[in-house]
Amino acid sequence: MAAAGPSVFLLMVNGQVESAQFPEYDDLYCKYCFVYGQDWAPTAGLEEGISQITSKSRDVRQALVWNFPIDVTFKSTNPYGWPQIVLSVYGPDVFGNDVVRGYGAVHLPFSPGRHKRTIPMFVPESTSKLQKFTSWFMGRRPEYTDPKVVAQGGGREGENAEAERLKAAQLMLPFSSQ
Amino acid sequence: MNPKEEKVKIITEEFDENDEDTGVGSQKKTSKMARQERKKRLPAAGPEEMVSENPHLGNQPEPLQEDSDTRPLSMTTRRGPRSLPPIPSASRTGFAEFSMRERMREKLQAARSKAESTLLQEIPTPRPRRFQSPGEKELETEFGAEPGEEAQKTEQEDDSQSRSRVKFRDSVRKIKTKPPVPPGFPSAEEAYNFFTFNFDPEPEESEEKPKAKNRDGTTQEEEEGEEEEPPVQGIHKTDEQLLISATEAEAFLWGLDHAAADFVAVRPADYESAHVRLQMEKELLFVPSRLTVPTYKKLPENVQPRYLEDEGLYIGTRPDVPRTCQNIMENRLLTQEPGRRWFGDDGRIVALPNPIKPFPSRPPVLTQEQDFRAELETLYKKAVKYVHRSQHMIGSGDSPGNFQLDIDISGLIFTHHPCFSREHVLAAKLAQLYDQYLARHQRNKAKFLTDKLQALRNAVQTGLNPEKTHKSLDTTQKTINEYKSEIRQTRKLRDAEQEKDRMLLKTIIKVWKEMKSLREFQRFTNTPLKLVLRKEKVDQKADEEAYEAEIQAEISELLEEHMEEHEQKMEAYRAAYQQWKAWKKAQRAKKKKKKQAVEEHPEEEMGEPYPEEDPVKPVPPEPTDRTLMEHQVRERAARSRRRPGEPLLVPELSLAGSVTPNEQCPRVEVLRREDVKRRSIYLKVIFNDKEVSRTDSRPLGADFRVHFGQIFNLQIFNWPESLTLQVYETVGHSGTTLLAEVFLPIPETTIVTGRAPIEEVEFSSNQHVTLDHEGVGSGMPFSFEADGSNQLILMTSGKVSNSVAWAIGENGIPLIPPLSQQNIGFRSALKRADAISSIGTSGLTDLKKLAKWAAESKLDPNDPNNAPLMQLISVATSGESYVPDFFRLEQLQQEFNFVSDEELNRSKRFRLLCLRSQEVPEFRNYKQIPAYDREIMEKVFQDYEKRLRDRNVIETKDHIDPHRAMVAKYLQQVRESVINRFLIAKHHFLLSDLIVEEEVPNISILGLSLFKLAEQKRPLRPRRKGRKKVTAQNLSDGDIKVLVNIIRAYDIPVRKATASKFQQPSRSSRTFSEKHAASPTTHSPTHSADYPLGQVLVRPFVEVSFQRTICHTTTAEGPNPSWNEELELPFRAPNGDYSTSSLQSVKDDVFINIFDEVLYDVLEDDRERGSGIHTRIERHWLGCVKIPFSTIYFQAKIDGTFKIDIPPVLLGYSKERSMIIERGFDSVRSLSEGSYITLFITMEPQLVPGESVREKFDSQEDEKLLQATEKFQAECALKFPHRQCLTTVTDISGKTVFITRYLKPLNPPQELLEACPNNPQATAELVARYVSLIPFLPDTVSFAGICDLWSTSDQFLDLLAGDEEEHAVLLCNYFLSLGKKAWLVMGSAIPEGPTAYVLTREQSHYLIWNPCSGHFYGQFDTFCPLKSVGCLIGPDNIWFNIQRHDSPLRINFDVTKPKLWKSFFSRSLLYPGLSSVQPEELIYQRTDKAAAAELQDRIEKILKEKIMDWRPRHLTRWNRYCTSALRHFLPLLERSRGEDVEDDHRGELLKQLGDYRFSGFPLHMPYSELKPLIEAVYSTGVHNIDVPNVEFALAVYIHPYPKNVLSVWIYVASLIRNR
Repeated sequence: MAAAGPSVFLLMVNGQVESAQFPEYDDLYCKYCFVYGQDWAPTAGLEEGISQITSKSRDVRQALVWNFPIDVTFKSTNPYGWPQIVLSVYGPDVFGNDVVRGYGAVHLPFSPGRHKRTIPMFVPESTSKLQKFTSWFMGRRPEYTDPKVVAQGGGREGENAEAERLKAAQLMLPFSSQ
Repeated sequence: MNPKEEKVKIITEEFDENDEDTGVGSQKKTSKMARQERKKRLPAAGPEEMVSENPHLGNQPEPLQEDSDTRPLSMTTRRGPRSLPPIPSASRTGFAEFSMRERMREKLQAARSKAESTLLQEIPTPRPRRFQSPGEKELETEFGAEPGEEAQKTEQEDDSQSRSRVKFRDSVRKIKTKPPVPPGFPSAEEAYNFFTFNFDPEPEESEEKPKAKNRDGTTQEEEEGEEEEPPVQGIHKTDEQLLISATEAEAFLWGLDHAAADFVAVRPADYESAHVRLQMEKELLFVPSRLTVPTYKKLPENVQPRYLEDEGLYIGTRPDVPRTCQNIMENRLLTQEPGRRWFGDDGRIVALPNPIKPFPSRPPVLTQEQDFRAELETLYKKAVKYVHRSQHMIGSGDSPGNFQLDIDISGLIFTHHPCFSREHVLAAKLAQLYDQYLARHQRNKAKFLTDKLQALRNAVQTGLNPEKTHKSLDTTQKTINEYKSEIRQTRKLRDAEQEKDRMLLKTIIKVWKEMKSLREFQRFTNTPLKLVLRKEKVDQKADEEAYEAEIQAEISELLEEHMEEHEQKMEAYRAAYQQWKAWKKAQRAKKKKKKQAVEEHPEEEMGEPYPEEDPVKPVPPEPTDRTLMEHQVRERAARSRRRPGEPLLVPELSLAGSVTPNEQCPRVEVLRREDVKRRSIYLKVIFNDKEVSRTDSRPLGADFRVHFGQIFNLQIFNWPESLTLQVYETVGHSGTTLLAEVFLPIPETTIVTGRAPIEEVEFSSNQHVTLDHEGVGSGMPFSFEADGSNQLILMTSGKVSNSVAWAIGENGIPLIPPLSQQNIGFRSALKRADAISSIGTSGLTDLKKLAKWAAESKLDPNDPNNAPLMQLISVATSGESYVPDFFRLEQLQQEFNFVSDEELNRSKRFRLLCLRSQEVPEFRNYKQIPAYDREIMEKVFQDYEKRLRDRNVIETKDHIDPHRAMVAKYLQQVRESVINRFLIAKHHFLLSDLIVEEEVPNISILGLSLFKLAEQKRPLRPRRKGRKKVTAQNLSDGDIKVLVNIIRAYDIPVRKATASKFQQPSRSSRTFSEKHAASPTTHSPTHSADYPLGQVLVRPFVEVSFQRTICHTTTAEGPNPSWNEELELPFRAPNGDYSTSSLQSVKDDVFINIFDEVLYDVLEDDRERGSGIHTRIERHWLGCVKIPFSTIYFQAKIDGTFKIDIPPVLLGYSKERSMIIERGFDSVRSLSEGSYITLFITMEPQLVPGESVREKFDSQEDEKLLQATEKFQAECALKFPHRQCLTTVTDISGKTVFITRYLKPLNPPQELLEACPNNPQATAELVARYVSLIPFLPDTVSFAGICDLWSTSDQFLDLLAGDEEEHAVLLCNYFLSLGKKAWLVMGSAIPEGPTAYVLTREQSHYLIWNPCSGHFYGQFDTFCPLKSVGCLIGPDNIWFNIQRHDSPLRINFDVTKPKLWKSFFSRSLLYPGLSSVQPEELIYQRTDKAAAAELQDRIEKILKEKIMDWRPRHLTRWNRYCTSALRHFLPLLERSRGEDVEDDHRGELLKQLGDYRFSGFPLHMPYSELKPLIEAVYSTGVHNIDVPNVEFALAVYIHPYPKNVLSVWIYVASLIRNR
């Protein structure tokens, strides 16, 4: 046992970040990463990814479609710290600066099968109106030091986030354990 | 069914018929007729009849025909004009029928004969087609039955007709034109067809008819009648025909194939009859029945269903499931799972109680499409009347009407009042007695009992008379006995009653007499009471006789009684005597056995007189004495009964007496009466503790009666809990007093107004009143006797006469809250039973009452709703009234524990998880905790457990020296406690930790940034930009590198040629001069001889080792080499944890070692010199610079020139400063001795150093002082943000302390003072050296992630480890005690960064002391490591540097100049005289020399082992001779503090080890732990020499200083024997 290491179960996730609804923005791309507990370790696949830039569809839906695949396998000994996928969406502002348009996180589904999740996205707000203006003007909006912060529980006091639009991410999760 | 569809179908049928008619001829018609006929007839006739009883058929058709006719007829009346006229006449039908019948018969016979013949060959299978839905039946008429008919036809016609053919024709015929109908009178057949088969030559008519038929046929009866025929027919006919026809049809089909194909290739759809399909399905499918399953099937055999509910057990409401569903499920379960585990004892499917709550527990989910705002909108509702204490409320289901309680208060009588006079007291008593008398008289119990007695006696008399009762004697005897016992009891009762009556009468008379005497005595009367005793004359004689007779009867009875008793006693006596005798005998028998049988007789006689001990001989009871008894009876009679002849006294109390008017009374009495008049009484009505109304105030009458006569109608809403009247008394115009409270019972619901009796409710008060007049007062003793004896204490008391009743509404309905009805009809309203409403709130506190109520109301003890109540009752009734008086937060926790606590604790995995979440250091970053217990190794916990165990056990193994071990332990404990303190603080995040946001721009920044916009993107002269800092959270191994840029070095020692012994004298002279001149003016000729030869003096290179990774530069040449090389060393954090706290606690040092590369020619043979080079490279350690990682981490970069730590003795090397004296620069440098190296060290990427804890610590400082410090610091920071300003520090217990409290003169060890008593400078140096010998341990290492902690000097000396601050404070304190002017300098230095130095003021100049190294520098020393000065701290003030420059070279240390130094305490804030936190005096223990010696040996041994370990591939030989020589030399070094001994020592060594090439050096360091020593030895690389015949020498010397401060010297050397 000691030689083989502790027995683990595997969580295989494949799916895709399908599309998003950001009615006000266009030409967005998205990044994903995973946040997981100490007992978890990725064994295969990509832990992080950055998608292509997509434009709004020309129809009524105005969806931003990425269809950006996710394929990762985790192993773990403990369900505690179940992985969360953290998505952050970026896009250019009027001056062409890349600014963040939304953060969001969701736990990976717990049950095998096909799941579809819609993640509400939000961005931190500036502390004051003046800062809001300057950040807009300078193209340096408030950002998280690390997008993973959104998946962590503690220390969110004083944070002042503006709930933004919704974003759909579809994840398909065949699940196996051993 | 769709009528139109039907119609079309029928039409096609008709066509079919027509076609046949036309095609086949009249014969066919008849057959058809027959068929039609059969169709009609069959439903009525039984199938058997049909076949067998053909002759009867003749009778049958008529009603049938009628049936078929009348039906449409009956409809026609309803249908009106559209329907067909009733054409067919009776004659016609009769005719048609007749002919048809005949034909029918013929046909049947023919068919039968034929069928029988075929039947012989084929056995028909009857098809049950009865149970089919109408739809299916219809289908069959078309496909199933029709062919049969056709087949029948074909049979008759000998024509080839087949099913397919028919079908085919159907389709064909549709296109064909209809044949013309023959005009004229229709034949009988036609007529029949017309009416029966909807056959119509004209399409319109034919259409009309079926339509009509269908319209009324929607009832389907008709259709069924028709359509059911074919199957029926099938059954009977098929016996003979149908199956045949089927086979034949098959045959025909084959035969006709061609013909059919000729027309159109149409094939019938594959049809599987529904019946067959059903059959098949029946095999495959199981359809559970819907019928109720009998209970016995569901229960095991011979078990009666058991209904738990009937047994009083609670079973919740079952979920509502339709009965049929339950049945289906039960049937299914019974078939599929024969085991009966699905069924409960009651034969029903086991079900949990209905889980559905009547109300939704979750708010409705908002769908995304909906507007959130709509959901959040405020809803306005009408205000609801506040109902208080809802549990007492009338249920919401009840009509919320008002209810009314009528309270009639008629009056109040005082039975005692303070204003009562003595007479009143007596009068009240008399009245009371009289009332009693009246009540007794009314009941007249004595009389009743007397009568009863008489009756019983008579009964006994008659019972005893045997003539009258011929019944069995037993029963009479029994009854008589019963009577007798009854008589006895009754007599006793009567006697008691009579006695009471008599006593009462006597008392009344006595009281009246007393009253009379009182009236006489006081000479006035207060009360109108008057007692009249009326004497009733009795007939003396009769009375006497009766009396005597009574006595006699009683006596006789008593006698009888006694006789009986006597009898019984005699019986008992006899029995006892017998027993006794028997016992006697036994005794005797025993004795006999003992003695001889001879003496039998005398013994028998003797036996009786023997006094026996055990059973006393019974004494016969004495007979009763009659005279005695008579005496007793008479006495009793005299006492309780009226004597014969005595007149019957009847007391009569009247108010006829006159009260003495006031003027005739004495003054006191008048006062009393006036007082009474002043008093008035009123009542308050309190309902449910609230005053609802009050009576008028009425004056108190002289007779102490108050009449109110008021009725209060209480409109109530809540169920009454309590009803109270409060009696208030007003005296004059002064205040009112509450006399008493009268509690009225809540009336029964049956009591309504008008029926309520006036009740008197007594009350009393316990107030004490003393009056100064005749009134006796209340609660005060008084007496009627003159001598004051026989005292009485009377309390105010009285009676309120009132009546309470429920009011009756206008329509005669009592206005009673319906809840109250539950009191009566409790069973019916069980569901709404509420304990409170039924027994009132007081019942809740009375547990017994509550239990009784629970028992009465048949509460279900198993119902979870009642659980708390039941528990309460069980507690109450079990006697122990233990009600837990604690509150438990999670009272159900126990139930939810899935394992016991012990088991949980035993789980290794759980423990591991717990420890990790507690952030226990060993497990803080434990990854992948195994999923199973068995996979967790015990050894995981070993370290942790060991640490826990050792917390208090001091272990010396690691630490060698017990004191250090203790200190380490203590430090560990302090560290732990402090870490725990700050653990929470560490989890606090600020906004800036999470969110990167531009700062609030002020106008200058804004302008700058605006300016920046216009700036060139790529300026020609780029400005240096700061590196991006990386937060240490997403780093991993290999991400961080330590970059060391080695630029150049100065004054590296140079080699000396292998000196001979002979040169020794000259050298010593040189060194002497060198030391004292401090400037080398002379140098030995050997050097000058060497140098010109062109031999390289030294070839130094630098080797940097960090975490056992070693990099080195190329080799440069000369004593002032320049490398300018960048070395990159990887950094690994402990446990792969790159968190800030972990990085801060990295203790590793970066060693920068300078080596000399020496090439030795090893060529043995000179002849080969031309062809090859054989050189051996040796490296000789010259010195090192040690920089802790924590410094690099906090400083981010280290840039500067450092002094190389060169051992005091470097054998084979010497400083060559004389050689380059010509350079001007050198003159400055030569002031300080030593070699220097210029370095630049940084980390890549740059890490954000952990910030000190932001928490504010509690403090014992004055609040004003703290505010001042904040202000001071803010002001300083505003002016010079980069200068260190320190006012408060955190002490070791985590409290904020004002910094000057640390400075106080403290005595240095006496030993040091005595060393050189005449030289203060030397003493100072010695003290500084002593301080520097205390090991250095940065705070960040010991207290990771925490701000600086300052320990006091005694703590510091106890810990023997500390930061710069502690060293500086201690040194400063020593200097102060030595009488110097000393300050603490807060500033920054290299390499430490922000640090603390000590500044002393000598006579004319200032000296800067480095407390950690013990070195001192002049103010203008360029090599002084202190680079900037922030503030100076003295024992009584703080001065902040406000000069332009902060370099010590350029500032003025005169703190008295306020322009240069801003002082904390000034005229505005005077120094309050803060006491010091330091101890009064430091106490030094002498260090145990023996222990030190022991330690010395151990260290030496360990180091030797280590060196051998480091040379695994080589043999390590120890040169003992050299070692002992070195050992002797080390104390000398200590004595001279590492100076000036080199050459003496060298000479000595050379003397001893003449033919060895020797390379070695002493290392000196303070002793803290073993590990740094080993590291230091390792870093010198002595062990790296791999010359084959190398020998080693190692010596250790420890010099003990007071207080366990140890100075360690290690001398390592390698020796190579010269050839």
